[in-house]
Amino acid sequence: MSLPKPAMRGLLAKRLRFHLPIAFGLSIIAAVAFKFTVTEPRKQAYADFYKHYDSMKEFSAMREAGVFESVRPTGK
Amino acid sequence: YINTRVLRGLQSGLSSDRLWSFSSTASVAARSYSHGKQETDEEFDARWVTYFNKPDIDAWELRKGMNTLIGYDLVPEPKILEAALRACRRLNDLASAIRILEAVKDKSGPHKEIYPYVLQELRPTLSELGIPTPEELGIDKA
Repeated sequence: MSLPKPAMRGLLAKRLRFHLPIAFGLSIIAAVAFKFTVTEPRKQAYADFYKHYDSMKEFSAMREAGVFESVRPTGK
Repeated sequence: YINTRVLRGLQSGLSSDRLWSFSSTASVAARSYSHGKQETDEEFDARWVTYFNKPDIDAWELRKGMNTLIGYDLVPEPKILEAALRACRRLNDLASAIRILEAVKDKSGPHKEIYPYVLQELRPTLSELGIPTPEELGIDKA
């Protein structure tokens, strides 16, 4: 039983040729998926929050609650 | 640098030469140009056989040669390994001879058919030089 000669050259290159496109592809898919499931909803949530945000109203509420040191609640 | 033999072997459309510039998966060509005459597999093998056949090769050259050879993306041909084993014999270095066999097995990676084939081809040389295999010594298992 004489063993036949196997392939002995370029084994890593062959492996990389197969796996590297997959690796790059999966990485890109992961990045795109993250963008659309995390960053875009987050950006939208911020946009929605600030679309009708009344900063003066919020400030007054905080002022009346007495959390500032620089301005006292009205009436004090 | 450019891994010319990989590019040649792939015959692919991969354009960027930087894609293959990993430090440890060295090219098989001694000089990594994409221009210039490409060395054939036979020329490569012959060059390395000549390297190890140097009658007065010294221990440093043996180690350097083996380490360089192991850095390539290939399992060395039995004829190169035979020359290296004979160099070990001239240097009275049995340890390196056995280590060379271990290195062949390691370089084969998941391709388990390579090591038995190499041993088959080297069997006459191993017998002649009295080199035991790691398996025969029981040092192939941890």
